Amino acid sequence: MAEGPAGVIIGGWPYVITAYSITAVALALNIARLAARERKADKNKESDSNG
Amino acid sequence: MRNVATGIGLLGILLLLVGSYVGLFVAPPERHMGDVQRIMYVHVPTAWIGLLCSTFAMIFAVAYLWTGRNRWDDRLVGALEISVILGGLLLVQGMLWGRVTWGIWWTWDVRLTTSLIMFLLFAGVLALRSFVEEPLRRATWSSVATIIAYVDVPLVYFCVRWFRSLHQVQSSPETVHSSMIIPLRINAFAMLFIAIWLIAWRARIESKSRGAERPPERIEIQGAQNG
Amino acid sequence: MSTFQQTLFVARKDLLLGWRARTRTLAVALFGMVTLVLFSFAVAADGEVGVSAAAGFLIVALLLSSILSLEESFRLETEDRALEGLLLLPVDPVAIFYGKAIANFVLLVLLGPVLLPLTAIFFSLELDGANLLGMALLWLLAAAGIAAPGTLYASMTSRVTGRDVVLPLLLFPLTLPILMAGVRSFDLILRGDAMSQLKGWTLLLAAFDLVYWVLCGALFSRTLEE
Repeated sequence: MAEGPAGVIIGGWPYVITAYSITAVALALNIARLAARERKADKNKESDSNG
Repeated sequence: MRNVATGIGLLGILLLLVGSYVGLFVAPPERHMGDVQRIMYVHVPTAWIGLLCSTFAMIFAVAYLWTGRNRWDDRLVGALEISVILGGLLLVQGMLWGRVTWGIWWTWDVRLTTSLIMFLLFAGVLALRSFVEEPLRRATWSSVATIIAYVDVPLVYFCVRWFRSLHQVQSSPETVHSSMIIPLRINAFAMLFIAIWLIAWRARIESKSRGAERPPERIEIQGAQNG
Repeated sequence: MSTFQQTLFVARKDLLLGWRARTRTLAVALFGMVTLVLFSFAVAADGEVGVSAAAGFLIVALLLSSILSLEESFRLETEDRALEGLLLLPVDPVAIFYGKAIANFVLLVLLGPVLLPLTAIFFSLELDGANLLGMALLWLLAAAGIAAPGTLYASMTSRVTGRDVVLPLLLFPLTLPILMAGVRSFDLILRGDAMSQLKGWTLLLAAFDLVYWVLCGALFSRTLEE
């Protein structure tokens, strides 16, 4: 990585954005997965009580 | 109960957005690390809450073995899954940070190695879980495996620290300015709330699907008792 | 019979079965040898690797072989549903665990006389009497550390489909302290212990053993409940 005059690391924004995006995407995917599972569990329960 | 959990979750998401905004655009760049240091505002909370969730998993595992109540197993799955997810995220964030500051994706330093092993240990428990179908067996075995895995974490930590000490001590300058503490704290609470919400949600789903698995047997038992 | 006598009884039974099926037991040792050959060619066919690399190969060979040995120890129990039969007898589950763990420990220790000299030959290590004594002690500690959690996990995974995947997945990350402590200790024994760190590593191994022999013994009976 490039360094500025005072030994400061310059740039790295793409890495920062990637880290935040991956975190957001992973959490969102997990929420979506749980929502899908819940729908499935509810469906099973309904068909059980009907049958 | 359900609405409370969802409320906490929404609050967590809101806080995460606020904390990340402050961390990314308001807080000043760090003196040496520059803008890369902003990864820390999500990385450190991920580490804290991930560790906390695995501690929750340990507590739930002990509680299950103690009481034999299904609700502890439901919570155990939730806590295990979140700690594995946060553990995986922790590794990815850490690698991105390390690539910029150290110039390498990976180094076998204490915290990195311990995080990786912890991730593998708990993922292993989830794998064991997926192979066992009988609910009682699954619950007991995952509790036992969780306890065994959790006890290993401090052993691994001290071992790696000692193992590495011969080569180099990875120093990370931690000059935390007060303007940096604010986004760190906000995100820590955000992660905590999100984790609690997701554990509660996952537990509810588990208890629902458990209900769907068992009913015929229960009716049989009732019939036997009546007859 | 006291629990102690029962423990010895179970251990004796397992070792006797291991002796009767000695070709299978030998196959495990042969497997350990094969892994050592693989390592030597993976790194350098002329044996020019450092002492710590050789020590690492030795411990990894032990870990890999232990999977086969542990699975073998529960194969008969599950194939003939013998574990359930054993549970019907008035045998303390604690005795079953410690008996089987001791038997597994002995079988792992017996890999030492095969793997240790081979490692020394393949990787040109200089061994003398004093070295050997230290290495033998470490081998015992390492084998004990694998045997306790290994027996517990193998008793679970032997009763599920897909056992071949799950056992190493659970056991290898768990036993990482053994690998680290083992490698460092062997290195210190062979190259000299300038900073007297050997005692620390030995204590760490012993602590690992103690923790898991107690913990696994306490938890084992719960995994048998149906």
